Amino acid sequence: MPHQCTNCGHVFPDGSKEMLSGCPDCGGNKFQFKQGSVDDVEADTSDQPAGDSDPQPTGGSEPTSGPEPDASTTPDTTASTDSPASDPTPSPEAPTDSERSDAELMESDTADAEESPAQSSARSDVVSSDELPDSPPDAASTADADEPTTESEETAESSGLNQLRSELNDQFESIRIVSPGEYELNLMELYDRNEYIISLREDGRYIIEVPDSWDTDMPS
Amino acid sequence: MGLLTNLKDSVSRVTDRLFASEDPKRIGIYGPPNAGKTTLANRIARDWTGDAIGPESHVPHETRRARRKEGVDIERNGQSVTIDIVDTPGVATKVDYKEFLDHDIEKDDAIRRSREATEGVAEAMHWLREDVDGVIYVLDSTTDPFTQVNTMLIGIIESRDLPVLIFANKIDLDQADIDRVADAFPEHETVPLSALEGDNMDEVYDKIAEYFA
Ligand SMILES: Nc1nc2c(ncn2[C@@H]2O[C@H](COP(=O)(O)OP(=O)(O)OP(=O)(O)O)[C@@H](O)[C@H]2O)c(=O)[nH]1
Ligand SMILES: [Mg+2]
Repeated sequence: MPHQCTNCGHVFPDGSKEMLSGCPDCGGNKFQFKQGSVDDVEADTSDQPAGDSDPQPTGGSEPTSGPEPDASTTPDTTASTDSPASDPTPSPEAPTDSERSDAELMESDTADAEESPAQSSARSDVVSSDELPDSPPDAASTADADEPTTESEETAESSGLNQLRSELNDQFESIRIVSPGEYELNLMELYDRNEYIISLREDGRYIIEVPDSWDTDMPS
Repeated sequence: MGLLTNLKDSVSRVTDRLFASEDPKRIGIYGPPNAGKTTLANRIARDWTGDAIGPESHVPHETRRARRKEGVDIERNGQSVTIDIVDTPGVATKVDYKEFLDHDIEKDDAIRRSREATEGVAEAMHWLREDVDGVIYVLDSTTDPFTQVNTMLIGIIESRDLPVLIFANKIDLDQADIDRVADAFPEHETVPLSALEGDNMDEVYDKIAEYFA
């Protein structure tokens, strides 16, 4: 699956080693798996691509949303050949180290049991939505999750969305997005994964962090 | 994802040497949401360092990122044991924003909390694979211990051969059933406690010193 720099949107084709030393364009070191072909992706990375100006299909079953899933978010079925599911990760005995993925370190002067906002801001520091080059309007969170779509009521659009979800789910077995805000987790898969997932998006994309950078976000 | 696997291996080789063997053991505090992990982590940290680790709440998935406190010196019988404690997000196989609506959380916030909680579970599982040397598994002893989450997590911990202590928490409550917890995990030592009230903390520290020195 291709990757995309979360900072400038630079796309790296599947298997590219370029990103190993950071993004050549902006030096960024966070990348997201990119669903779809590289061509799709490139169309997706310009600032205001024509195809992205319409409401995203992730908007759910609101009749005001566009009629078709946008090409930029439609997974290329060939991508599934490189899905995590079809690529068994190494056993737990694989080499590991303890430094990369440190938890937030609580220094004595920053620890404050009562201060909940510190925690949520720590989260948004990791990946804020404006770090995502093609962030759709917060469509996912406004999607109507209260009304489970019944088969008979399905519009062409919502079945497209459901199909998109199920394709993404097939590629990424460890977390299933049942509906916006509702997740099913496969603990075994999560445990077995190499990459560390740091941010989910409702359209099924997820942000991974390359090990190199795993210390830079943490206060120390 | 061969690309990332390769990258990770090379990073591992570089960073492996940074870690001396006498580093303090890193003890992960694991368990389902609301078991009292953060309450326990705060009590340990307050008892031995004076600081707290993070916010406690009756709302599940309060902890959504792992937090650690380094160099906690626990003194037992004239000896001192140094550990790093990591308070992890509660692990669940399902996260649904609707469960937060009951706690006076607006829908948008509930959906965001749900997503963060899911990311938190991913983080907790990631830590379990790579970054802990021992586990304190915290259970609310007023609830049924035979759950999928408990079985899977304990299974993973056993497969890694990590030292583990089961903490049967909330024994101050009438409905607490310590035996039920002990019977659920007969292979492991169960320590009853109330993290909130501080009950039986002497035994807690004895066992931590014994298992994680
Ligand atoms: N009665 C009683 N309540 C406790 C005890 N320990 C924790 N609690 C309460 O249980 C609730 C959850 O405690 P937390 O420490 O936030 O639980 P947690 O395991 O960290 O939960 P998550 O972060 O959501 O995974 C809070 O309301 C605590 O006050 C205990 O020993 N006795
Ligand atoms: Mg907690």
